[in-house]
Amino acid sequence: MSIISLFWQSSVVVKIVMLILLAASIVSWVVIFQRGMSLRRDRRELEDFEDHFWSGVDLNELYRELPSTQPTGAAHVFRSGFREFNRLLPKARSNDAVLDGVQRAMRVALSREESRLGRHLAILATISSSAVYVGLFGTVWGIMGTFQSLGSVQQVTLGVIAPSIAEALVATAMGLFAAIPAVIAYNRLVSRVDELMGRLENFAEEFHSILHRNLQGRASEEAA
Amino acid sequence: MKRYSRVGYTLPVILAVLVHAGALVLTMLNLSFSSSEKTSSAVVHARLVKLETTTDQAQQPQESAPSASSTPEPEEESTPAAEETASSRESEEQSDEQARQSQQEARARAEQAQQLARQQQQEARQRQQAEAQREQEQAAREKAAQQAREKAQAEQKAAAEAKRQAEQEAKEKAAAKAKRQAEQEAKEKAAAEAKRQAEQEAKEKAAAEAKRQAEQEAKEKAAAEAKRQAEQEAKEKAAAEAKRQAEQEAKEKAAAEAKRQAEQKRMAQAAAEASGDLGSEISSEQQSIANARQAREAANGFMNLVRRYVEQNWSQPPNISSGVQATIRIRLLPTGELVDARVLEGSGNASFDRSALQAVRKAAPFTELSKLPSAQQRQFREFNLRFNPEDVR
Repeated sequence: MSIISLFWQSSVVVKIVMLILLAASIVSWVVIFQRGMSLRRDRRELEDFEDHFWSGVDLNELYRELPSTQPTGAAHVFRSGFREFNRLLPKARSNDAVLDGVQRAMRVALSREESRLGRHLAILATISSSAVYVGLFGTVWGIMGTFQSLGSVQQVTLGVIAPSIAEALVATAMGLFAAIPAVIAYNRLVSRVDELMGRLENFAEEFHSILHRNLQGRASEEAA
Repeated sequence: MKRYSRVGYTLPVILAVLVHAGALVLTMLNLSFSSSEKTSSAVVHARLVKLETTTDQAQQPQESAPSASSTPEPEEESTPAAEETASSRESEEQSDEQARQSQQEARARAEQAQQLARQQQQEARQRQQAEAQREQEQAAREKAAQQAREKAQAEQKAAAEAKRQAEQEAKEKAAAKAKRQAEQEAKEKAAAEAKRQAEQEAKEKAAAEAKRQAEQEAKEKAAAEAKRQAEQEAKEKAAAEAKRQAEQEAKEKAAAEAKRQAEQKRMAQAAAEASGDLGSEISSEQQSIANARQAREAANGFMNLVRRYVEQNWSQPPNISSGVQATIRIRLLPTGELVDARVLEGSGNASFDRSALQAVRKAAPFTELSKLPSAQQRQFREFNLRFNPEDVR
């Protein structure tokens, strides 16, 4: 009377349900581990970049240092904003136009970052809400089969009913087993993504204010 | 600036699979523990039997073959080793025959075992009967000895009781005489009457009420005729009251004792005649009587304890006129803690009432209550306590 023997005894539909739930559970755990590691890595990267950025390095040098192929996180925001600034500066007439363009570019980078950070979290949300119902379906189906077979039995004893109901209940147990870690991990990961996005937005604002200061200094020089 | 490699999916997949494998192993462990316990349950057993009957007959020899090859082994271990190997080879070759043989053997052995078991059961039954008889005899002997001992004790007690009564009577007579003399000093007529009544009461012994009346009458007359002796009289009255209570208690005890003795005698006779069954009844009856007596003594003891505690903690206010008394109602928790104490009948003197209440509160946790039997406990959950300045020495 182990989980495996219960699995082999159950009907085809219940077997399929259990296999689906097992797959969902594995997928959810893969997402949990992958996202957890990835977010930890992103946070460390952001901290390193901020340290580097505020260490007084020349912005042009920083821009040149960055890898040209798809940087992530704060580096991505910085790169897109700075590139837009350098492109617009010779063409634009007013400072406001330059700053608007920079802001738009950084907003795009931020939204890309957000979608990258929150990738696959929707899977966790789906599993957490649906796995319970899938398991319940398996249980109900198994109990239906039990009652159908009970109709042809002359004497009904607990010994006849109990094993098949136990088989059916395994499906619900598996559903809960898949859903509970998914719910917990989803909430935790979403809160971590929110925190990272807040820090990225702060960085973008700060960078924007630096560019703004630069432009104002240049305008006053031209006026003089 | 550091470069960060991207997080791949291989490590998470490995970790996830490990998590599931661990969970599966855990459930297997738990379920295997529980299933090993369940195999002995009747439901599972019944189900197995039913399955066996529905299966084909052809399966049975196959199933019994391994068991057959295993069953002859212990028997043949006693024979020489060569024979054993030969027979085992044979058993491998002709498993069907052997199975049948072994089945017969097993059946014969089972019958033998059953006979043996039956014999053993009979023997055990006989032994038990003998044991029971011996026990009964012993119990009867013990009971007789105990009854004899108890009777002796009861007689001793009765003698002691009689002695005590005699002493008390003597004391009473002395007190009466002293009183008589005092009253003679006051007035001869009153003294003569009191003497006559006191003598009458001494002769009656049991008439405590009459005595008190006589005392009261004497007191009234004495008070009416000699006011200066009022205090003395009051003291005497208190003493007489205490004595009367003691006497009443003694009388009650004596009555109970006599009753118990009579009962014991009757029981001893019955026990001498009857067998062990009656003896147990008698002993239980005796026990219940003894229990009741013990409970009564415990209750008296508790009341005395409470009285003593409160007296110890009572500091009377100064210049209290004699004759005042207050009754305090006390309610206790089962643990003996004080729930509430209030003045039921005030003395008319507020400071006196307050001092009485304070005394009760100071003495408050009467932990002895929890040691009383529950019936007595209920009785003492709420009781009155009378405060009389003359009671305190």
